[in-house]
Amino acid sequence: METIGTSHTVHRFDYELNEIAKLVDKMGALAVEQLRRAVKSLKKEDPTRAHKVINRDRKLNDLDVEADEKIIQLIAKRAPMASDLRQIITLGKVVTDLERTGDEARKIAKLCVRIYESDHHIPSEHILRDIYSMSKYVNQMLKLAMDAFSNLNVQQAFGVLLMDEELEEQFDATLRHLSTFVMQDSRNVGHFVDIVLGIRALERFGGHAKNIAGHVIFLATAHDVRHLDADEIQSLLNIEDSP
Amino acid sequence: MNTLSETIETGPDANLIVPQENEGAFREQQFEDTVGDVTHPNPRISCREVDVYYDHGAVHAIKNVTLDIGTGEVLAMIGPSGCGKSTILRCLNRMNDSIDGCQVSGSIRLDELDIYDKNLDVVLLRAQIGMVFQKPNPFPKSIYDNVAYGPKIHGLAKDKTDLDEIVQTSLERAALWEEVKDRLGQPGTGLSGGQQQRLCIARAIAVSPEVILMDEPCSALDPIATAKVEELIDELRQQYTIAIVTHSMQQAARVSQRTAYFHLGHLVEVNTTDKVFTNPQHHLTEAYITGRFG
Repeated sequence: METIGTSHTVHRFDYELNEIAKLVDKMGALAVEQLRRAVKSLKKEDPTRAHKVINRDRKLNDLDVEADEKIIQLIAKRAPMASDLRQIITLGKVVTDLERTGDEARKIAKLCVRIYESDHHIPSEHILRDIYSMSKYVNQMLKLAMDAFSNLNVQQAFGVLLMDEELEEQFDATLRHLSTFVMQDSRNVGHFVDIVLGIRALERFGGHAKNIAGHVIFLATAHDVRHLDADEIQSLLNIEDSP
Repeated sequence: MNTLSETIETGPDANLIVPQENEGAFREQQFEDTVGDVTHPNPRISCREVDVYYDHGAVHAIKNVTLDIGTGEVLAMIGPSGCGKSTILRCLNRMNDSIDGCQVSGSIRLDELDIYDKNLDVVLLRAQIGMVFQKPNPFPKSIYDNVAYGPKIHGLAKDKTDLDEIVQTSLERAALWEEVKDRLGQPGTGLSGGQQQRLCIARAIAVSPEVILMDEPCSALDPIATAKVEELIDELRQQYTIAIVTHSMQQAARVSQRTAYFHLGHLVEVNTTDKVFTNPQHHLTEAYITGRFG
């Protein structure tokens, strides 16, 4: 008797989708790790560690290329439809966002190199503190977004979108905070631009996590929520308020 | 917590899993209503609560199907083998009349005309609702006579000039004229498969039908001939209403505006083709078009 299975009749299709999914899992873990290590290099005032992070970004780029190749091959061979189509398109977009989070993590590592390999005055611990707290926040956003992706958890993905709104406020507050440091002590001007660019990189890192959360919602519900605000998404998807 | 790869293995929609012990109940419950809008604002053919039985009632092939086919649209009918899509197509111009023991109940109308009216002339009906089959079946006659036959027996041409014009127009509409205009006297069976199929389409449109039914019209054709027939379907849509049964999901996605998914004689879902192939609303449609029937 005909039964409806969960896997494709062509098992190779499942295998190929799985291979791409594994690459994406790997890229997500690597991106989180890259930011963690980049920030650690700053904390330890260790440009050698930072150089390692910068070099390691190539790995993420290679995975990006590999995943894209597999995605193109799968589309060409299997002509995916419906949820398979959404899944493969989403995987492609997530891969792009993950590769870019890697670029942002590299920018933090470069910040470390510029600060600790230059002759400029080393900025005070207070100035860098904002980078530490913000990096923790955006790395958590990426972890949650990847978790939501793994479990197709719309509620969790929506939570990441809300976190991004909070991040934007944090970004503005940090810029104001930095300006006061410069005004208090003009020696801080030397690295002001570098640190602003670092903060900006973290804000972009969070932005990519937010994009991934949006892709999760598209994959699970087929609604494109990229250009909607939180209230619109909430009423569109009937999402309850987070506890 | 599942990893992403595990989620892919189990599929995003848990509804796809049929609990084996509850399969009977599941099957009862899953066909309550057709998902999507079965009606069309400007219907040409209207089926209402159609049931079809074969073998004098022993086989229930179509179960309570209600469906409109709209003016100027291409409706694709898809589903696994034995789902009833060809059966319902054949009901639309009473091709099933010739099958012994086949019973059709419910109502099928072409505009205001009751297709199953006992006093209806079936030959005239089939001129209004033409059909193209899986395997090209030109008459063993010349290309010209293949197209001219219908207009002749229905008395659609006043004279030879008129008939010539009908033949030329039909072949032009079927995108075959340029290829055959210099050899109209040669046998239709001498053409290539793709040309034969377009000849059959020309033959169908020569009698000025309102509706064209196509039962897997490209399954015996190579990709280039298929592309030509698909291009033709798109052009014919401007003038005719078309219902096409196809096993090729890509083809259904390419040529139709609405898609109907059949399963075990039930009409499970009807929706715009865009929706069916990107975000089907019924899990059986999803399972079928993503290739998850095992």
